[in-house]
Amino acid sequence: MADYQLVIIGAGLSGLASGIRAARFGLKTLIVEQHSLPGGLNSYYYRHGFLLETGLHAMTNFAEVGDRHAPLNRLFRQLKLSRKKFATHQQLSSLIRFPEVSLRFSNDLALLEAEVEQQFPHCRAPFQKLVAAVREYDPFSPAPWRSARRFLAALIPDPLLVDMLLLPLMVYGNSEEHDMDLGQFVIMFQALFVEGFFRPHGTMKDFLTMLVEQYKGFGGELRYRSKVAGVRRQGDRVEGVELAGGEYVSCDTLLSTVGAPGTAALVGWPADAPKYEGQMSFVESISVLPAAQRAVLAADHTIIFYNSQQTLSYKRPPIAMNPDWGVICFPENFQDLPEQDFFQVRITNPANYAIWKQADPKEYQRLKADSEARTFARVSEIIGNYQQNRVYHDSFTPLTIERYTAKAQGAVYGSPIKIKDGLTPYRNLFMAGTDQGFLGIVGAMLSGVTIVNQRILMRS
Amino acid sequence: MTRDDIKDLILDIIADIDEDAEFAGLDSDKPLRDQLDLDSMDFLDIVMELRKRHKLQIPEEEYPELATLNSCVNYLEPKLKDQ
Repeated sequence: MADYQLVIIGAGLSGLASGIRAARFGLKTLIVEQHSLPGGLNSYYYRHGFLLETGLHAMTNFAEVGDRHAPLNRLFRQLKLSRKKFATHQQLSSLIRFPEVSLRFSNDLALLEAEVEQQFPHCRAPFQKLVAAVREYDPFSPAPWRSARRFLAALIPDPLLVDMLLLPLMVYGNSEEHDMDLGQFVIMFQALFVEGFFRPHGTMKDFLTMLVEQYKGFGGELRYRSKVAGVRRQGDRVEGVELAGGEYVSCDTLLSTVGAPGTAALVGWPADAPKYEGQMSFVESISVLPAAQRAVLAADHTIIFYNSQQTLSYKRPPIAMNPDWGVICFPENFQDLPEQDFFQVRITNPANYAIWKQADPKEYQRLKADSEARTFARVSEIIGNYQQNRVYHDSFTPLTIERYTAKAQGAVYGSPIKIKDGLTPYRNLFMAGTDQGFLGIVGAMLSGVTIVNQRILMRS
Repeated sequence: MTRDDIKDLILDIIADIDEDAEFAGLDSDKPLRDQLDLDSMDFLDIVMELRKRHKLQIPEEEYPELATLNSCVNYLEPKLKDQ
């Protein structure tokens, strides 16, 4: 008999959700996590007494309590967590800002519709057609890749509006350059524009603690600082994992949440790994300011998606980072959040992994300083001087992301090729997480739930 | 288990998997799915709870037997007669 019925690699959100499902129904389950904290891309760390959250700008897929079919509420039912006890704060409003025109949106689609009508009067009816098409489209039924750009071009008679709509949907979850799969577009449109942004009342640490406690409450085991060095296999089956410390753990089924390239490398699966490597990575800057500083900034929105060019160039930049487009997030700007002493500004810009990777330590530091200066020059034009009186600052590069999240090349949204069914060439090895086409915190968790349901619970 | 026990078991499982479940006016001959607004993920949970609690293996092709409260009872009665 194997040591565990199920071993899960990675205690990120998809790994934890998978673990809760399996343990809830009695499977002897072990999660192995290479770091000392759970969360993967959406984790937290302490610096100078601040608890800083990584990854999370906002959660998408907001749903009111009682909306049974909404992804967020289905997820809570599946994990046997009480949605009623999970307090949330919705966004204030967000902004898509292009050089000559801006569109506001909130968790009420009517605001975006009104903004489109005002800024693009000729697109009023086409936009409504688009909303109706999105509502009817089932993005989860298997379908070949279809160009979202081509679909939009046929429907929306203004390319500027197309680019404006695509900016937030791409930057919050598109692993492809320039274009995106129509199914992915529909998922993102629903998640951001129809359902919208919110955050939990507690911190990301509280959220992760809730998940870990639920998992352990069902009898699941979790080991931190346990890096998987390799996977033992026999023919078309895997037998267990070899940990970096030399220990071997056998299992009936193995679930990997480390993405297609990471999984292929562990198993020695002769996949065409480069084609699964995502191109889109980012630099992120976090500034912590005294709360009073908020008043002097143009910081009324929750999130600003900006582009300082006429068209959207969603691709890996040829230079270390590109400040021309990005995201400005104010994590304190959610409805009815308790008064804080500090106010954060988080800025995300596209970056080129390869350039950061080949830099020596000195050059890396220079690139980091240069990147911060370039972000500041562009973003301070939009929101004002967010470095004045700053009490803390940190920044992440594609290398930071790769190191802490196991995402190959720091590609936060994973592989441009999605393996939606979670299957691999090995009969008892499955994959869950970002590379299954679900995105965001809710999406990653639903991926874990779905793969365990379909591949493990229904089969065992 | 008697037929009434099985009915209670099903309702207990549904109450357990769904904090919003409301049983007032439930018709035993009408689909649970429509009356309680359950989806396929909720149905899987009913199947998994039956497995966990009573070691019952219900193959996927037999899930439709669980459509109504009465069809659940009819289907489960022989399987649970000794429990």
